[in-house]
Amino acid sequence: MSSSSLTLPAQERPAARRRLLEILGALAIAATYVYLVLNQPADITGGPGSASALIALTGFLAGAVLLIVAVLPTLPASTLVLIPVALVLNIVLGQFVGSTLVPFYLDAIGTVLIAVLAGPAAGAATGALGSIVWSFFNPTVLPFAAGAALIGCLAGLAARYGLFRRFYLAPVAGFVTGIIAGVVSAPVAAFVFGGTSGVATGAIVSAFRAMGDTLLAAITKQALISDPMDKAIVFTIVALLVYALPRRVRQQFPFIRRHRVLAGDSAATKTGLNEPASGSASGPAPGSTHGSARNG
Amino acid sequence: MTVSAAGGAPAPARRERLNPLTRLAAAGSTAVITTAAASWPLSVAVIAACLGLSVAGGNARRVVPAAAAVMVPLGLSLLALHGLFFPEGRTLLAAWGPARITAEGLDFAGQRILQLAAVVVALLLFSFSVSVPDLVAAMSARGVQGRFAFVLASTLTLLPAIGLRARRIRQAQEARGLVISRSLVSRIAAFRLQAIPLVLALIEDAGTRAAALEARGLSSPGPRTSYREVPDSIAQRTVRAILVLAALAAVVLRVVQAASGA
Repeated sequence: MSSSSLTLPAQERPAARRRLLEILGALAIAATYVYLVLNQPADITGGPGSASALIALTGFLAGAVLLIVAVLPTLPASTLVLIPVALVLNIVLGQFVGSTLVPFYLDAIGTVLIAVLAGPAAGAATGALGSIVWSFFNPTVLPFAAGAALIGCLAGLAARYGLFRRFYLAPVAGFVTGIIAGVVSAPVAAFVFGGTSGVATGAIVSAFRAMGDTLLAAITKQALISDPMDKAIVFTIVALLVYALPRRVRQQFPFIRRHRVLAGDSAATKTGLNEPASGSASGPAPGSTHGSARNG
Repeated sequence: MTVSAAGGAPAPARRERLNPLTRLAAAGSTAVITTAAASWPLSVAVIAACLGLSVAGGNARRVVPAAAAVMVPLGLSLLALHGLFFPEGRTLLAAWGPARITAEGLDFAGQRILQLAAVVVALLLFSFSVSVPDLVAAMSARGVQGRFAFVLASTLTLLPAIGLRARRIRQAQEARGLVISRSLVSRIAAFRLQAIPLVLALIEDAGTRAAALEARGLSSPGPRTSYREVPDSIAQRTVRAILVLAALAAVVLRVVQAASGA
């Protein structure tokens, strides 16, 4: 089942320009991070430093927006409609777990889920767009857009290279993603907010500060404690959710079929067909609702 | 949840004439300039002005709780962090074991809290006073992808609906004998019982929505006609340009200042 329209000719935009935007976006994020880490001692204790905060905000936001502009037009409609769902899941499931008593956030479940179902590009766009839309209610998540995009992208890559095929590999992939994402997000927390928003995470930062660390060092260490565990849990939850989905629903995503993301779906990849539900999951499924509705 | 109230804000007719992009530019440049200036009198003035505007606009009831939900935990965390542990602090006010309350730490925390509160209140005032359909129409008129507008509008309308759905699923599972006790295992089992039906239903719905959007030409190229007229004027366009330039100037000034000072 292809996701493009059958009645209209596919419109191919210049791919080179989009690739350029993607690279520029990634470069903006990387350059901002390097600049912040190299320049950090200058203004963090000299008062509520603003130059670094502004550079962090501008660089990370510009990078995230460039990534969105590059990726969004390429997503098929079936992926696009999942982005709002992912964002809502981030909020609803994140709230369900409650992040006040444990030093975790668990606010990336939706992003990782979309990344596993639809690939790294969709994951990155979901992470970045999600932060922007969420900032309508909580403006403090806006500076973390680049970190969220990175999490989505890494989760998609993990799925692409088969780390969700074995159940025990998913938390490992989450752990590694958490290390990278935590290190990238720490300067935002340090320079823009001067701390963390959670009570438990704040206590960990305080402990490192009490030992005389700089603020960035303390927050980076806190991130290295919280983020890998957090993402390992998130990846495990997502693996649980994805394997609990009926096979018919899973197989409607081309990314899952093409790269054999999940274990036990090899028959579908070999034939490349959208086979009807195998009776195991949700009873008599009325064929592929997805494809037939569009063709009609 | 404060979230569910957003979106369909019935703004007074007088404010309806303001283009949503003008509001966005005003909120954004206020946030940027406040951060760049980093002076607490300005932060306090911005907070007061935004609260005044929200009272005048009649949405203070939603802006204030939303801002408090963001700022209270963040503020407490910052106060505890910098108030008690600020190794760079010199003026010792009190010491208690490893905790040292320093004047510099309290000053740092206070300034940061005020500055962040100003940014949060300014942006929340925008998001709670803007009419989302107008914002979407104004953005599409300026060539912003209809896809971004879809994601924004769809999320804002999905949020309350999904909250309701999650409650229904919990009720259904409770009717089938789900009891959530305090133990971790039981909580995880309960989470699984509620999350899986929710995710499954959402993904199924999304498939249906994709088909509907595709049938209405979401991915087809070409110009779109909007039936929604968004008010705009030369004066507003000028104001927007000035606001964006002012924000840019503030950033450049601040960065140059920091570079020459260091």
